[in-house]
Amino acid sequence: MSVTASNERGVAKAGPKPRAYFQLSGDGLGGGLTRGLLQLVVVVAFFVAWELGVRFGGISGFLFGQPSGIFANFGRMIMNGQLFVDTGYTALEAITGFVLGTIAGTAIGLSLWYSVGVAKLVEPFVIAMNSVPKIALAPLIILWFGTGYSSKIALAIAMTAIVALITAYQAARDADKDLQRLLRSMGADKHRIFFKAVVPSSLPAVIATFRINIGFALVGAVVGEFISSQHGLGHLVFTASNLYDLNTVWVGLFSLMILGFALYHIVNFIERRVLPWKQDLSTRQVAA
Amino acid sequence: MSDKARQLQITGLAKTFATKTGSVPVVRDLTFDIHEQDFVSIIGPSGCGKTTIFNMIAGLLDADAGTMRYRGEPVDGLRGRIGYMMQKDLLFPWRTVLQNCLLGLEMRNVDRREAREKALDYLETFGLKGFENAYPSTLSGGQRQRVALIRTLVMDPDILLLDEPFSALDYQTRLHLEGVLVDAVETAGKTVILITHDVDEAVALSKRVVVLSGRPSKVKAIHDIDLASHSPIESRSDPNFSRYFHLLCNELDIQTQ
Ligand SMILES: Nc1ncnc2c1ncn2[C@@H]1O[C@H](COP(=O)(O)OP(=O)(O)O)[C@@H](O)[C@H]1O
Ligand SMILES: [Mg+2]
Repeated sequence: MSVTASNERGVAKAGPKPRAYFQLSGDGLGGGLTRGLLQLVVVVAFFVAWELGVRFGGISGFLFGQPSGIFANFGRMIMNGQLFVDTGYTALEAITGFVLGTIAGTAIGLSLWYSVGVAKLVEPFVIAMNSVPKIALAPLIILWFGTGYSSKIALAIAMTAIVALITAYQAARDADKDLQRLLRSMGADKHRIFFKAVVPSSLPAVIATFRINIGFALVGAVVGEFISSQHGLGHLVFTASNLYDLNTVWVGLFSLMILGFALYHIVNFIERRVLPWKQDLSTRQVAA
Repeated sequence: MSDKARQLQITGLAKTFATKTGSVPVVRDLTFDIHEQDFVSIIGPSGCGKTTIFNMIAGLLDADAGTMRYRGEPVDGLRGRIGYMMQKDLLFPWRTVLQNCLLGLEMRNVDRREAREKALDYLETFGLKGFENAYPSTLSGGQRQRVALIRTLVMDPDILLLDEPFSALDYQTRLHLEGVLVDAVETAGKTVILITHDVDEAVALSKRVVVLSGRPSKVKAIHDIDLASHSPIESRSDPNFSRYFHLLCNELDIQTQ
């Protein structure tokens, strides 16, 4: 018996060190620094080739734009602040729409767990709403909410809410029944079971849709801006393309790319914060 | 008067499951008593309905017929009164080891500080010191089972329902934890009902053993185990141990297979 005990203690001292697993999984491309350099080289080469192509290779700068012009416009629009205003509008619309749509959809989807009857009742309606391409609602939403930012937020909500609802509902329905039974045996009531078992076990699926939904919200905001607006990156791209100002179109598109990239990473960061137990798991899977 | 010694009376309990292929009677006319501070093992062929019986006692499954009385009072089940350690360890993956141990106490709104200290004590006894903040996914099967057992013990329930609690453990760890369990329930004066497929374990730990027949299960026999000690190692070396062991093997028809 003492042998067992000392064995156990030996293990205990070593303790779990999940971080170390990452270093074991080399990718053959050296460390992060080398990889970053490589990626930078690819980007620079792309722009240089583009620029040379326009200058000497017969690529039409009128139809495709030209990196030197794009960077000049980029610099100018940063200096006069216009790019910040437009990016700010689009970001605010997308984030607000994403947050409201995701919260509302998730809350409704999770709470459908409480009543199978209600869930069955609303299911065909939810599926019907989901099968409408939400972007087709844009003209209607702009009629209702006007040409300001509120219509873009509404469109972003429409883009995200149903996805969030369906995911949350399915995740709640699939939550481990045995964990719920265990809580019941401990005397937990339905609310306790909901908050202690159903919600936490649905979180990974719910948060996985954040990453998809932040993209959808951005689509909603930009398409809304295309149709009718005074500000925003969508507005910038749309008006510039009407004027055949391809360099400014690219400024808008690259800014959208940077914005989308940033939002994606913010969501990733939140996921890691909210689901520390998932991180442990995934690092172990890398090592396996 | 004699009701007082009887903590739980189960009378005529029955359960039939309706399946696609027809109805399956799993438990039929099950009757036995659990005494105050009893340690009862339930053994029987696998699939005979042992877990089903626990689910009914725990109030997770409604019986088709029969009654349960807790200290004389008729009850539907012992929901909230028991600590139920299910066959799967059922740790919550998003909770650390310590948080898992404290789950039952959160349901009862007990003092957090006190609960924490108690859980930490158990973790040390069970050789899990240093793992308080680890997530269950990083533990071995045996470690997970120990956490599940701590979670059940720390709740300090009137009756412990343990469904094959040591099945995922190697023999040494098993002996060690059997000892910890017997000590813990003896000091705290708890009642234990233990499902096991291990006749050896049933004899070593129990004051009484309930033998079930095959499905639909009924009580085939109840044997008092009269050993000087129920510590897992001493009892196994008791001169009467092998007599009980053979008796129970006979009851289970093990020699004919
Ligand atoms: N919910 C259920 N529906 C249908 N059949 C079930 C259900 N639960 C258990 N059974 C059946 O009842 C029998 C007894 O199961 P169980 O109580 O788990 O046995 P044991 O724990 O003794 O191995 C098995 O044949 C099993 O298939
Ligand atoms: Mg079982």
